[in-house]
Amino acid sequence: MPEFAHLTFDAWPVLTALVFFPLAACLAVPLAGSDESARRWTLFASLVEVLLALPLFHFRLGYGGYQFVELVPWVPEWNLHYAMGVDGISLLLVLLTVLLLPLCVLCSWSYIRERVKEFHVCLLLMTSACLGVFVSLDIVLFYVFWEAMLVPMYLLIAVWGGPDKKYASIKFFLYTLAGSTLLLVAIVAMYLKAGTFFIPHLSEAGFPSGFQHWVFLCMAFAFAIKVPMFPFHTWLPAAHVEAPTAGSVLLASILLKMGTYGFLRFCLPMTPEGSLYFAPLMIGLSIASILYGGFIALGQSDMKKLIAYSSVAHMGFVTLGIFIFNLRGFEGAMMQMVNHGITTGALFMLVGCIYERSHSRQIVDNVGLGKYLPAYVFFFGLFSLSSLAYPGTNSFVGELLVLIGAFEHKVLYGFLAVPGALLAAAYMLRLLQKIVWGEPSKGKAWKDLNLREWVYFSPLAVLVIYIGLAPGLALRSMDPTLEQVLAAFKAKAGPRVEVVEVPGVPKEPITEEIPLVNETMGETP
Amino acid sequence: MIDNGFVHPALYFLALAFVLPFLRGEGWKWLLPVPALLAIWSVVHMKSGTYGVVNYLGLELTLGRVDPLSIVFAHVFAIQAGIGFIYALHVRDKAQHAAAALYVAGSFGCTFAGDYVTLFVFWELMSVASTFLVWLNRNPASTRAGFRYFLFHTLGGLALLAGLLLRYKAVGNFAFGPVAESSARLYDYLVLLGFCVNAAVVPLHAWLPDAYPEATVTGAVFMSAFTTKTAVYVLARGFAGYEVLAVMGTVMTLYGVFYATIENNARRILAYHIVSQVGYMVAGVGIGTQMTLNGACAHAYAHILYKGLLFMGAGCVLYAAGTAKLNELGGLASRIPLVMIGYMIGAVSISGFPLFNGFVSKTMTITGAAQAHHGILAILMEVAAVGTFLSVGIKLPYFAFWGGKETYTGTLRPVPWNMYLGMAIGGSLCFLQGIFPGILYRLLPFPVSYVPYTAWHVLQALLLLSFTGLGFYLLHKKLTPEAKINLDFDYFYRLAGRAVVFVARYPIEFVDNWWTEVYRRAGLRGMLGMGWLTSVFDKKGIDGVLDNTAYGVRHAGSIVTKIQTGRLQDYLAGMAVLALIAFVLYLYVF
Repeated sequence: MPEFAHLTFDAWPVLTALVFFPLAACLAVPLAGSDESARRWTLFASLVEVLLALPLFHFRLGYGGYQFVELVPWVPEWNLHYAMGVDGISLLLVLLTVLLLPLCVLCSWSYIRERVKEFHVCLLLMTSACLGVFVSLDIVLFYVFWEAMLVPMYLLIAVWGGPDKKYASIKFFLYTLAGSTLLLVAIVAMYLKAGTFFIPHLSEAGFPSGFQHWVFLCMAFAFAIKVPMFPFHTWLPAAHVEAPTAGSVLLASILLKMGTYGFLRFCLPMTPEGSLYFAPLMIGLSIASILYGGFIALGQSDMKKLIAYSSVAHMGFVTLGIFIFNLRGFEGAMMQMVNHGITTGALFMLVGCIYERSHSRQIVDNVGLGKYLPAYVFFFGLFSLSSLAYPGTNSFVGELLVLIGAFEHKVLYGFLAVPGALLAAAYMLRLLQKIVWGEPSKGKAWKDLNLREWVYFSPLAVLVIYIGLAPGLALRSMDPTLEQVLAAFKAKAGPRVEVVEVPGVPKEPITEEIPLVNETMGETP
Repeated sequence: MIDNGFVHPALYFLALAFVLPFLRGEGWKWLLPVPALLAIWSVVHMKSGTYGVVNYLGLELTLGRVDPLSIVFAHVFAIQAGIGFIYALHVRDKAQHAAAALYVAGSFGCTFAGDYVTLFVFWELMSVASTFLVWLNRNPASTRAGFRYFLFHTLGGLALLAGLLLRYKAVGNFAFGPVAESSARLYDYLVLLGFCVNAAVVPLHAWLPDAYPEATVTGAVFMSAFTTKTAVYVLARGFAGYEVLAVMGTVMTLYGVFYATIENNARRILAYHIVSQVGYMVAGVGIGTQMTLNGACAHAYAHILYKGLLFMGAGCVLYAAGTAKLNELGGLASRIPLVMIGYMIGAVSISGFPLFNGFVSKTMTITGAAQAHHGILAILMEVAAVGTFLSVGIKLPYFAFWGGKETYTGTLRPVPWNMYLGMAIGGSLCFLQGIFPGILYRLLPFPVSYVPYTAWHVLQALLLLSFTGLGFYLLHKKLTPEAKINLDFDYFYRLAGRAVVFVARYPIEFVDNWWTEVYRRAGLRGMLGMGWLTSVFDKKGIDGVLDNTAYGVRHAGSIVTKIQTGRLQDYLAGMAVLALIAFVLYLYVF
């Protein structure tokens, strides 16, 4: 690849540092003298990680290609590269992952009492792997990180989990691995056809139509399990319920997004005709997820299971947004990804918070907290409202965009998706009512939130309100990339894609010149 | 909100309201007057201009429209906020302070709003926050009064909202500016209706004497200043010169004063009196000449100060004696003399005694009315001035502090020093503005050509007041307060309310009950049933397939392990059998 031959590491490698710093940190954590110092070191490392992510704020809005690109040949004979880059799709997910690490450390401070060092090592490994997934521009590198995040997650559930941890951890591991094997088949197949593992080149390779159908099925299977889409979702409630708080947060906020990220990054660019062919199936499964997840959540008495099933429903909105192939849908899907990460992460932290007091996840053991824990129910109320996509909160933006896109694509899809929002209101408000006002109150002897808990809820609360009221910046960061993806998709999938766009956010004019090749993937001079 | 050296004073109060719940310990009360001091400093240094223009959701909002009209109101709001917080220093209930701070912030927001959307947001903030000032008295009567207050203000807010939205549809923007009477349409009148609710224009005024006596001791001081004067400001901004306002304003002056004269509760007298005084302002706005607009602004300024002082005095009496009912009070002058002095300063100010600020402001409006050839209105306003002195200046203090049938013999709670300080500041400002009217006049929006201290004006005032005093002396038996309730326009509101409840109860509630039953039996049960069904399907169906597959594989594995017997002869025998089968298949099948 001549145009990348001269790219070197003379600039500070932002993404490599982000991905590999937690790995380096987890070599230091086992050397800590005590549990408390292990926690402190990990917290310190996570804050350093946040600092390392600050250069990402130089991301150029208005440019849709990859930025902060690092490209080094890995195995030249196989056209294998060590390639990393972020664009509008992955930027917000990377920032979300980096933000959540310190919050996970904080929320596990008093929750995890045994094998604390190993726990924090797992957290750091998870972060490293998740970041690697989002920034990889080489499909083998992506696959390495994809598989790499399975083991720490398995350990998180199997060692520090609830009563049924053995079952849940194995189920999670095998389920996801099964999907990943088919993903590997797809990768190898594409390599044999295109001769490269480099994602931007694979996106332009142009595979034959029948081939695309099969490859799409393989990849979609893996991603559908990860999302999770109905009917491949049953690992999620088991894993969420049994995982410790930090595990649930990572699972819900980040791991689930990898599936939908995979759809946007791989399925749509590399197998557009396959995506178009199977779109009705995927839309059907999405709507099924939305409604099915909503109904099951209504019938739950375990708080964590309820929130887990609500994740199924919310991610249904994301996949719906992706497979309707219009810009509003894509924007809604991306926003919903980020917002779901924030909101559901916060909800799991809330459940963890109250579990530390009541040692039970059953709703009946946690009722009537409004009188005694006002700060806690304030956050619970805020994040519940966000979960049901109340206007003014962040999830409203995502869901509204998806619904607008769905209605524009086909009115029927919109009509079928709307009851999902209704069901979300039903189960969240039911939960909220019991938690805040149930009688007799269980919260008499419990203390309200302490400073540490205030610290980890506040950034999420601020984000909920900020993105809810002023989503412009987030939308502007993702729009150019999404427009590029959509345009490429429309060009390759043929004239069968009819798109009617609803006027959206005024575009940010490109005031800067096309960026230098060193930093982004631009045209060669 | 911070733009080019302009800092919106509402920010200081919003910050206070936000920070208060997190402060612990004893010292937080000293933080209370700080936002007001900062606001005074900000207002004094303000220059005219348009600041704080933000683009939100495609709307262009103007948060800081500064011109002489808004400056004069902001000036007195800031001063009164300071006095009010000083008066409330002894209150330990942080919620009351937060509510007051939000209320003041709303008021500032409305004063500087350059567009209807910003105005509406801060208008509703004022509504909600002031409702809490009533509710935080925490007794059944104030809870009920708060609900009525909130309901009525919400109705007013809805009228405003309807008007501004219809106006947007017609005009295309949300800009808030003067509307000429000749081109006023329905939507302008709806906005006017919303403003008039807050200005307590008769017949929309009954919320004021209903809720203000039920507010907290310190809350009433705030409420007396902000809601009605903000309404006067917006009327002056948007609807100056409307004849209906001139007429209704004059009606208000007489109406309020009439009820004030016959009332028993001291704070209700003062509340009706607000209606009367605001009537002067509304009439001034309605007449619309430069002098009457000046008069309205000057009167608003002076009124905030002396009405605040009066409410502070009555509040001290209420605090000390536990009751504000005049028929239960009496003889307090010797026991709480400082309160009496503070009250009397307010009383003489409001009555228009020379040397106090009521004299330099009220007469400007009346003279302006006369000069604009609204002779009848001017005379009626003078009549109302008689009633003012009679009710607030003589009747209330006489029966509270001196004679009357009863003498209050109960114990008096000691009045905290900060309440005295608040009254002292208010009183001295009233006096200072009375002897140096220039301090007030230089803030007014239009050039002032009115000279208050002429022989004729002073003589007029003294004549009026002395004959009123004579009248009281002759009639004071008739004016003795008795514990009874006077019916006001709220009688008609209640009739309307009863009609609404009737419609709600009979046709609507019937349908609603039927639908709720349907919803509960079919809908809710159906939904929860679906929830249960899908849970079971998930567990038994999907998981059943998956888990059983997994267990099946494990089981199959455990069967297959039986092949591993460990004995070489078994393996050799197996290999021989398999080789034979393969050979046969190769020869005869393939």
